[in-house]
Amino acid sequence: MMQGSISNRIRTLRFMNGEMSQAELGQRIGLTRQTIAAIEAGKYSPSLEAAFRIAQVFNVPLGEVFQWDVQATPLKAS
Amino acid sequence: MSYREKIAWLSLIAMAVAYGPYFTSAAKGPSTWEPLPHLHPLGLFALASIARMLILGAGYLYLRLGSAREERPPLDERDRAIKHRSLSAAYYVLIIGMILVGCFMPFSSTGWTIVNAAIFWIVAAEVVHYSIVVASYRMQASA
Repeated sequence: MMQGSISNRIRTLRFMNGEMSQAELGQRIGLTRQTIAAIEAGKYSPSLEAAFRIAQVFNVPLGEVFQWDVQATPLKAS
Repeated sequence: MSYREKIAWLSLIAMAVAYGPYFTSAAKGPSTWEPLPHLHPLGLFALASIARMLILGAGYLYLRLGSAREERPPLDERDRAIKHRSLSAAYYVLIIGMILVGCFMPFSSTGWTIVNAAIFWIVAAEVVHYSIVVASYRMQASA
């Protein structure tokens, strides 16, 4: 299975949108401030719907908010 | 600490304060008071349950009055995921406990020993439920 991790640019995007607070972002997409903080810190992966809502708030494509970082897997010796 | 985490802590404390002494007393063995042999354990259980309800009631009131409405938002998807995970784990604890109590204990124990074992597994399932809630909020909390 392909190994990887999800990273995000929510902190940067909040800054670029007038230093929007976590509480305000959460309020606009129906999540709590704590959940936004957990998503930002990479400790909680949001549902696809929540991810699209976040992208919609910042008016950017989903890929600009979340990235899938593929980790290189060592090749097996034959 | 979020409002829901505080509630989970409150529930854990209420469990420990109410049922800790109850199970300690139950472990010491049955009462030798003969005229009404079921009154003593039943009274202890009633006392523990009332104590738990009082602690929970006072705690809820304190937390509710001490927090603004904005600090008590409705459940969101992360809260629901935590709730689902904790209830699933608690369900397995309860099922295993009830199988042990219902299928095996009747061959080796009687009366209040079986009743207390059943109560113990219910309390254990609740403790697992709230412990996972607390642990999940702690692990996902960011600085």
